[in-house]
Amino acid sequence: MDRIRRNKLVIFVLVFPGLLVFTFAVLYPIFMSAYYGMTDWKGIGEFNIVGFENYRKVIFEDKIFRTSLLNAAALAFFTVFVQHPVAMFFAIITDKIGGKLESFFRAVFFVPCVISIVVTSKMWVNVLNSNYGLLNKILDAINLGFLKQDWLGHKDIALFSVIFVIMWQGFGYAYLIYYSGIKGIPEELLEAGRIDGANSWQQFSKITFPMLKPVIMVNVSIAITSSLKQMEPIYLMTNGGPGTRTQFVANYLYMQAFSAQKYSYANAIAVVFVIVCLITTVVVQNIFRSRD
Amino acid sequence: MTSAGYDSPLKNAKTKARALRYIQIILCALMTVGCVFPLIWLIDFSLVKANELFGKNFLVWPKEPHWENYYLALTDGKVPQYLLNSVFVSFVSVGLIVLLSVMMSYGFTRMKWRLSKVFLNIVLLGFMIPIHATLLSNFITFSRLHIQDSPMALIIPYVAFNLPQATFIMTGFMDSVPKEIEESALMDGCSILRLLFTIVFPVLKPAVMTVIITSFINVWNEFIMAATYLTSDRFRTLPFSIYNFAGMYSSNYSAQFAVMTLSALPSLIAYVILNKHITKGIAAGAVKG
Amino acid sequence: MKLLKKSLIAVVIMAMLFGLAACAAEKASNSPTPSTTAPEDSPEQQPETITINFFSNLPDRTAGQGLLEQTILDNYMKENPHITIKVEALQDEPYKQKFQSYVASNNLPDIFNVWGQPSFFQAVMEKGYAAELNPDDYKDYGFFEGSTTDFSYNGKLYGLPRNQDMTTVFINKAIFNDNNVKIPTTYNELVNAAKAFRAKGIQPLSINGRDKWILNLFFQDLVIKVSGNQRTIYDASTGKTSFASDPDIRKAAELFKGLVDAGLFQDSFTSADYGAAQNLFLQEQAAMFYMGAWEVGMASNPDNSEHFRQNVALIPFPTVEGGKGKITDVCAWNGGGYAVSASSPVKDEAIKLLNYMMHPDNWPKIGWQQGLVVPGQNYKEYMTGKENVLQVQLTDILNTATSMSGTPWNDFNPGDWKANVENLIQEFAAGITTVDEFLEALDNVVPK
Repeated sequence: MDRIRRNKLVIFVLVFPGLLVFTFAVLYPIFMSAYYGMTDWKGIGEFNIVGFENYRKVIFEDKIFRTSLLNAAALAFFTVFVQHPVAMFFAIITDKIGGKLESFFRAVFFVPCVISIVVTSKMWVNVLNSNYGLLNKILDAINLGFLKQDWLGHKDIALFSVIFVIMWQGFGYAYLIYYSGIKGIPEELLEAGRIDGANSWQQFSKITFPMLKPVIMVNVSIAITSSLKQMEPIYLMTNGGPGTRTQFVANYLYMQAFSAQKYSYANAIAVVFVIVCLITTVVVQNIFRSRD
Repeated sequence: MTSAGYDSPLKNAKTKARALRYIQIILCALMTVGCVFPLIWLIDFSLVKANELFGKNFLVWPKEPHWENYYLALTDGKVPQYLLNSVFVSFVSVGLIVLLSVMMSYGFTRMKWRLSKVFLNIVLLGFMIPIHATLLSNFITFSRLHIQDSPMALIIPYVAFNLPQATFIMTGFMDSVPKEIEESALMDGCSILRLLFTIVFPVLKPAVMTVIITSFINVWNEFIMAATYLTSDRFRTLPFSIYNFAGMYSSNYSAQFAVMTLSALPSLIAYVILNKHITKGIAAGAVKG
Repeated sequence: MKLLKKSLIAVVIMAMLFGLAACAAEKASNSPTPSTTAPEDSPEQQPETITINFFSNLPDRTAGQGLLEQTILDNYMKENPHITIKVEALQDEPYKQKFQSYVASNNLPDIFNVWGQPSFFQAVMEKGYAAELNPDDYKDYGFFEGSTTDFSYNGKLYGLPRNQDMTTVFINKAIFNDNNVKIPTTYNELVNAAKAFRAKGIQPLSINGRDKWILNLFFQDLVIKVSGNQRTIYDASTGKTSFASDPDIRKAAELFKGLVDAGLFQDSFTSADYGAAQNLFLQEQAAMFYMGAWEVGMASNPDNSEHFRQNVALIPFPTVEGGKGKITDVCAWNGGGYAVSASSPVKDEAIKLLNYMMHPDNWPKIGWQQGLVVPGQNYKEYMTGKENVLQVQLTDILNTATSMSGTPWNDFNPGDWKANVENLIQEFAAGITTVDEFLEALDNVVPK
């Protein structure tokens, strides 16, 4: 038996194909990026090795890179402290509603998640347009015309518009995960609470929330890493503008490579980006583990 | 019980509960509007003339629906062709993701070898790697291999980037499945590979469902790789059609909206039909993790 | 057992893939030099069939330049049945990004669009990616004097311009008349027009600020009208003078800010792309539209409303009170054009196609007579008297111009200059930076 489980050939056949694809399309390009990042290649012609110059610039000098990270932090903050509480709240009340309505709401809340980001991003560009967009028209219609804004073009508002759209798109996922977490809480526990005369808030803070903790941890760490990785909505909505106010790392490196012709520099950004993502994940995991 | 009046406290509690329920339903209804109204707006204005968008009303009644917008979407927008490409790429990718992740997970959790933990962790690390960091190098590699304008240029990275998540779900599930049945089959002289496909696979069904659904949604909607790696129209996938069409018909919003609606439709229909499985699958994956 | 077989097949495929990956790794370790081999010809094709890959920045194949390009390509395929032309077309920004990735992978299509500007084309020519053309072929093509300068490097010709480009203020006469607003000829009149339209809830001028480069052009127009010297902005761009200390440039920056503050540009102009900006004008929601001369086709495009086509006109960029620039000092250059890949396996065929396209009977003649473009070649003999109003007005401006700028300043330096100055002007336009900060930041990115 043990011999079968140790059969090298079988192990190879099982594991090799997956590892190969993974290495080829994920690990290998990262190593190539690390290499290109050490050159002065402009994406054209020959190049020289310049060592860690690009990396040094990315880490210590690049203000736009820093802005991009801060924007990601802002997105993570809003996702965790706005989107998630709202998602949890709706998970709890849909659970209470029950019956046909419950499944209806559950189904509808997830709709934005199944639609391509290209469709939703382009759609929101139109909704937020200040010349013909839906949002400003609604504000006009309900006599709140003074709130009308240049949602994607205003220097102080654009970032929040982008964050809002990303939260809108991802709401269904956050909701669904909390919802299933709540469904996983044994009915007896809640029943016991009710018999003890706990009101809604007590029930939530004493039973539901503690029981949801593992789900919250998963959800929050997913939210933080995915905030770092955002690109498509930015690429399609603002391209980082106005100026660099809504820039995110992935979009920034894409622009540096393909619009600014700083190919080697973009690769250095890519590598630093990967490292930032890894460190963030490790830190988040450790925080959760230590609090457990 | 501060609010208890002189008449029946029970009745009072009941009306309170009912009021609470109405509030809950109203809140959910508002959220529903928030989730789908922009889409309704989109569909609405895909049926009228482009310039009506500049009118005062935020919804218009399409007295004579302008179906020619959809005609443009189907012909110049090439939605049917892109749809077929999307279907092909998604099915092949998802099939490979399932196959490879089951094999790998089995190799990592059930087989006994020294470096299994190390390799598993390397794969799971991929979870944290942003795809965008690989766009530049992969483009160069793919064009050197002359696969940059073929379905392979999408299938390979799609599989690669969904493997970590799939493996994560699979290994998590496998750990919770008892080994006894397998052991007895192995005693009977069944080979590992045969065991994998005849006995293990069926047991894994819930996890497989989750993997299929999550990776399908990822692959189906993927945009930036499709835009970067593909050059000719032949293999382009659905998300790209919107992007491309927006360039061609930059001044015709209604036609653009029609393309967006048509592109969203297949996944919406699939979702409506499979909604229970999809929500269940995703929930299962999340809670496991 | 079947599944076992399948999985074994999969393994074999993966193994083959790995071999390929190893190959790539080997190749990648060498520096990328233009290769002579290229992927072509699937086996089932007949030997004499030739496929030419054509990479275009004109995705709209049904109007304007895109229609013209497609018409000529179709004609060519009709005349040469053994040739198939495969077109990949993207909008400007994605085009530039994709072009960059083609260059990086040394995999340029056979024939492609180029902008004859150092920021875009210089490195391509310098590193030998573009095929050398024979100037003698074009003796009788009637290219305007100097129009091929930016398509040449070290005295050799690598590309051909297709149009005479110029910044233009398109106007909608009806909107001006209906609201009793004077068509501006000076800066102050422009400010007043902006205020008058704003008061009536009309968007004064539509501009695609998301694309950034248009803001650079607008700024250059102001500098020209203030200083009266086409060199002013280039001298600052090359470090001969400085942005912050040149009084004319400073004045222009202040005027630019004045226009932003007066609300000249439409709401959300910094997030409007080309299509959105143009659409606002086509739908008669904006009184003016700032764009290049290549949009003269708007007046002949049957997709645009009758009312719009009757009322569209164009004016030269207004002068500035107290400025030294005349109304006839214009911002004009030869931007878009075509080049052939040096490593193309069908190089000769691609050059033949290029020569056919730019032949006086094709691009200039068809383009002019159908009201689609203002060609970069002599088009006088094709005058029919049936030109659209925009073509006529534009020709007037070009014929009376006292000075022309040449390459836009944001395209003047190679490297990341373009990306930098385009970002800076967008920040300035969005009110993120002040005049001082803007000018200093410009000086900081001037290549040393």
